Amino acid sequence: MNAGGLIVWCARQGASTCGLSKGGSMTKKTESTLVFWIFLAPVLFAFIMVMVIPFLLGSYYAFTNWTSSARADNELRFVGLQNFINSLRDPAFLYSFGITFVYTILNMIAINVVAFVLALLVTGNLRFKNVYRVGFFVPNLIGGIILGYIWQFIFNNAIPSLGTLIPSLNFLADPNNLMLSKNTTALAAMIIVGTWQYAGYIMMIYVAAIENIPQELIEAAKIDGATPWIRLKAITIPLCAQAFTVTMFLTLVNSFKQFDVNVSLTSGGPSTMLMGQPILGTELLALNIYNTAFISNKLSEAQARAFVFFLVLAIISIIQVYVNKRREIEL
Amino acid sequence: MVLLTATAAFGAGKLTLMQNKPEIDAQLKAYAAAWGQKNGVTVVIKSIGGTSGGMGPQLKADYAAGDMPDIFAFDGLESFKEWEGIILDLSKEPWVSKTSVAFKYNGKVYGFPVAVEGWGMAYNADLLAKAGIDPKTLNSYDAYKKAFEKLDSMKDKLGINAVVSMAASIEMGWVTAHHNFNSLLSNGLPYGDLSVTNDLLAGKVEAHAQRLQEYADWVELLFKYADKTILLTGNYDAQVGAFATGKTVFLHQGNWVDPNLKSANATFKMGFAPHGSMKKVTDGIFVSAPSYYAINKESRNLTLAKKFLNDLVTTPEGHTYMVKEAGMIPAFSGITLNPEGQLSKSVQEWSAAGKVYSWNQYYFSGDFRDKVLTPIYNQFAAGKISKAQFVELMTKAFKDNAQK
Repeated sequence: MNAGGLIVWCARQGASTCGLSKGGSMTKKTESTLVFWIFLAPVLFAFIMVMVIPFLLGSYYAFTNWTSSARADNELRFVGLQNFINSLRDPAFLYSFGITFVYTILNMIAINVVAFVLALLVTGNLRFKNVYRVGFFVPNLIGGIILGYIWQFIFNNAIPSLGTLIPSLNFLADPNNLMLSKNTTALAAMIIVGTWQYAGYIMMIYVAAIENIPQELIEAAKIDGATPWIRLKAITIPLCAQAFTVTMFLTLVNSFKQFDVNVSLTSGGPSTMLMGQPILGTELLALNIYNTAFISNKLSEAQARAFVFFLVLAIISIIQVYVNKRREIEL
Repeated sequence: MVLLTATAAFGAGKLTLMQNKPEIDAQLKAYAAAWGQKNGVTVVIKSIGGTSGGMGPQLKADYAAGDMPDIFAFDGLESFKEWEGIILDLSKEPWVSKTSVAFKYNGKVYGFPVAVEGWGMAYNADLLAKAGIDPKTLNSYDAYKKAFEKLDSMKDKLGINAVVSMAASIEMGWVTAHHNFNSLLSNGLPYGDLSVTNDLLAGKVEAHAQRLQEYADWVELLFKYADKTILLTGNYDAQVGAFATGKTVFLHQGNWVDPNLKSANATFKMGFAPHGSMKKVTDGIFVSAPSYYAINKESRNLTLAKKFLNDLVTTPEGHTYMVKEAGMIPAFSGITLNPEGQLSKSVQEWSAAGKVYSWNQYYFSGDFRDKVLTPIYNQFAAGKISKAQFVELMTKAFKDNAQK
């Protein structure tokens, strides 16, 4: 048993069985409760300080006119649901909701399909498969802001110059075909970057799941004459269901909360028209909240939006985990 | 950043300054360290952002945390209002009499002008000479139209990709919806004249329909002859780079690009020409203080903070820092040093001749400029809306803004 395992085991057993007890003054039960809370305290402290308190404060500010600035008329007032009403009346916010759903769904599909295919490849009989695993994983280690700028350069400079070099690809050099110049293709560009960044990480989870599949099942299927496709469909995918629960959750939440690549790659642009009003065409929810807070200087309205954002994301992810859990198989 | 905040705890012996020009961060830190040693105080400099508002989030976080800097920069009326409650009245400071561009509100001085900056149409004088165009003639819409057409027909001969390096992506909204937008507000008007600005703020667009129409012609002209790739997707580096490498004749930026041009080894002759946003001749460029230092009323180091600002104006070290080290055009009289950048010199020449128009864009909120106007310019640049629709959307935007 390694050190970490020992600690967990001790926590489960109560300290006395591990020889940590100094006397018999405490009953076994209070001891184990005490140890339980001692072990939990650090993470609980961090969670309360950086999650619970800011969340409660933020929820409170969502119902006020809070600005965090020294305006002449800045005493804190309750404004009821005004911030929520203003948000829902803003076409840009509604658009951000829609575009975030589209982005999340497409991004989840793209990341998981690519990650799963990569996982199948690097668990097969491939030479240098460990090199590939590392290679696919590395983009995940680059920060989103830097990644966005790198890909901005690729989309704006590298791809067009490819077009000027190779005559048959010269449509790439046409400024009208720049991916970041139209909001639909700019969204596609964000999905490409998102997939490139995240597929390697998700691949690792799939690799672990695939390698845990009992070999005798695969061998038995082979003896029975199952084709690779049937083996994938009937054995690998169902037995990876637990991994799917995790990866779907991770990709859903991460896509929904996308911010850094959005800022550095497109800044929410290019623009588009909605309800006769020009608005930012690829401004995802997180960026919309940020811009509301710091460009429009409406901090409390941004808080209201963040509150709505939290509720929607929580509901969607609970549904997702519930649906995925039902597909899991206990071995 | 985190490290800086940690060491910048309130207390005597520490003076914190937050400013919005990252390009002078190193020079300011060096000056502040030397000044601090002399005055027995540690000066902490925090530099954030590039565009206006970049500093806002950090300032708000620090304010909420009770860690507001002693001196901080703001860019104009809208951001002044954001911090009105804690900005100290500086009317009695000795430097006030030496500048004409301090930030004033209701007759009182609240902001120390960081520098003087200006923009017009930056031109490559060598390329203009090759095309036989005298930059002195560029001062109205018709003159620009003729020049652009001529230059466009000589693209191969001049070795350029496009006539103008202009940026209109969302990221570059500060070029369109801040700087270019100001042509509509102040071009051709006496310095400090707010008549058009106030009318537009009040939603009275009809009174200036002709002006808006001519302005739309100008925007269309700029977009038409701009490098399309840079116009639609280019960032600051791409925009300035095209001009620096002689791929365009004009650049729609201000004299702050001097250090960038220097590091790109741009050695050609250059200067500023006025904007051609009107039919009539508008012989001047847009010059003002880009930002101001305010002193936090609640600071424990008021005397030191005042001395820090005053020493910039009254000591030779302060002069050397502002002009030679940071390369800025000083906003104060009595400073004999001159900046070296060609465009900065051009701004000084225009100012010396009194041919200047004001910066009125900051009378509009950041929300209006960045979230309402920027997408309109972007739509127009991408060719998704016509000139008539552009005028219509601008008109509607002003009216909606006045309702708020």
